[in-house]
Amino acid sequence: MIDQIAGGMSRRMFVKTVAISGAALTAGLPTRALLAAGKAPDTIRVSYFLETKPTMIAKGEGWFDKLSGGKCAWTEAGSGAEINAAFAGKSVDIGLAIGSSPTASGISQRLPYELVGMVDNIGPAEEMVVRKAANIKSVNDFKGKKVATPFGSTSHFRLLGFLKVNNLTQKDVTVLDMKPDAQVAAWTRGDIDAAYVWSPAKSKMLDSGGELFTTNKDLDAKGYVIADLIVAGTEFSKTYPDALTGFLVAYRNALKMWQTKPDEAASIVAKQAGVSAEVAKRDMEEYDFVTFEKQLTAEWLGPPGKAGKFAEVLKRTADFLVEQKSIKSAPDLAAFQNGINTTFLAQAVKAAG
Amino acid sequence: MIKRSEMAGHRRMPDWVVTGCSVALLIVAWVVATEGGFVDDLFMPSPSSLWAGFTDLVEDGYKSRTIWEHAGLSLERVLAGFVTGAVAGTVVGLAMGYNRVIEACLAPFVEFLRPLPQLAYLVLLIVWFGIGETAQIVLLFLTAFPVSAIAAMDGVKSVSRQRMQVARSLGASNWQIFRFVVFPSALPEIFTGARLAIGVVYATLIAAEIIAGSTGLGWVILDAGRFLRSDYVFVGILAIGLMGLVLDYMLVAIEHRIVHWAGKY
Repeated sequence: MIDQIAGGMSRRMFVKTVAISGAALTAGLPTRALLAAGKAPDTIRVSYFLETKPTMIAKGEGWFDKLSGGKCAWTEAGSGAEINAAFAGKSVDIGLAIGSSPTASGISQRLPYELVGMVDNIGPAEEMVVRKAANIKSVNDFKGKKVATPFGSTSHFRLLGFLKVNNLTQKDVTVLDMKPDAQVAAWTRGDIDAAYVWSPAKSKMLDSGGELFTTNKDLDAKGYVIADLIVAGTEFSKTYPDALTGFLVAYRNALKMWQTKPDEAASIVAKQAGVSAEVAKRDMEEYDFVTFEKQLTAEWLGPPGKAGKFAEVLKRTADFLVEQKSIKSAPDLAAFQNGINTTFLAQAVKAAG
Repeated sequence: MIKRSEMAGHRRMPDWVVTGCSVALLIVAWVVATEGGFVDDLFMPSPSSLWAGFTDLVEDGYKSRTIWEHAGLSLERVLAGFVTGAVAGTVVGLAMGYNRVIEACLAPFVEFLRPLPQLAYLVLLIVWFGIGETAQIVLLFLTAFPVSAIAAMDGVKSVSRQRMQVARSLGASNWQIFRFVVFPSALPEIFTGARLAIGVVYATLIAAEIIAGSTGLGWVILDAGRFLRSDYVFVGILAIGLMGLVLDYMLVAIEHRIVHWAGKY
């Protein structure tokens, strides 16, 4: 049906028409009226990361499809930047577990999506690994060393925050842009002294002559919080609110499984991510998977219509990205507050009881 | 004949006018589409935002280096990879064309290497050569090498047998035949190979600068692209494209000087 319409009109016009009719419908009628029309999407285009997280339970067991009422078309993303580019090209409906720093840049660039939920607070799961032989014991020991991180990622954001908080510049420390697999390759040769990254690269380096240089508590306290989020296209969330709520319920069930039956959950995740159950469990234990109830408090995303503190985190992240000349400008706090929509999250909690 | 004189009445437009018109038309379309607000800045930056991006890059540089440093480093890499790869490839190609045994020995490797996507062995290059300049130049070398080798080999093979036989009947040694008959005859193809090689080396630059970035025009484009900074991306693309054009013109100029006789007999 949609394809037929799109075939008859230019894409631009079609998009406009959908947006206008969507706006008219939501303005004039309660959302429920839309649902009464029995609208369920044929396919939901999801861009996701293959990783060791409870999201993979809901994906592997088909809960996302079942509870959203649509067939999910999964595309694996290599980075949050790719998800942003896909949203700019209007070729994705939901971005699953996109990092907070690409999300902040996406909202700043007015990409057509909103933040509808959170997967995790990254906390210690992304951290600095230093080579024991490099003898890095204090912050000043980083001078003249080579540190690798994937640019544009949450790890990169934290690393730059670490340098700034400690009055180091990129003249003191050589910061290299490397993907996780390349980091492991360079690490085995001894070409890099440290890396700021996530597992499995992180645990591989820890196993071969590395140790942690803990930065996350200090940086979290100073406002360099990083998190993984769920974003949904605004057109999609307006047209298919029930499907989106169902999608979130599916993740909530997966999260509950991880909290109540961790071993069973880890083995399902392991199968999806292609690692052993022990590794999956160890990786997942490092993340703080914030419950939906907690996400709805002012501490994180906040209740519907009243954005929580996380909007400030996004604003700070965006300001920092401007300072780094990564994005042109950051809008004011209100834009980030408006970019958070927890209506569906609240519905999901209600639906699940 | 009559028709011909009639046609002379409408004088044919010179090529450069046609080229100029097509470029101008594209620029007008671009200005109208972007400044008129038909296209979002994210998709295609307007001339003014492109100019702002350019002056920004020139004045403040990109992530702790000036834009000239980035361009200079890229040029160094391209030249190092191209020169080494083209020279080695040409030598090997000449040998392969001249000697069947050498060809049988090396052909499988050259043929295997040529279509291989560079990203496939990127991590291996890091493991073997580290994250310094070496790995990047080796990657560009490996890109230029097979292209030049195959061009040189084909050049040698296309030398007419008769010419070699004439030289031999006049008492030329193997080396003299190679030096005075085969090599000059293969030169036009070698130059064509060199131009193709510099093209692929240029195309591989971004892959090379992924290795352990933070320097080079290729990396700037890649990094700016991550944040959808299309103004920087376009400035980078224009810079890379113009540098490529200049290098190509230089090769053509050298070619005209050395093999000015090409195609004339």
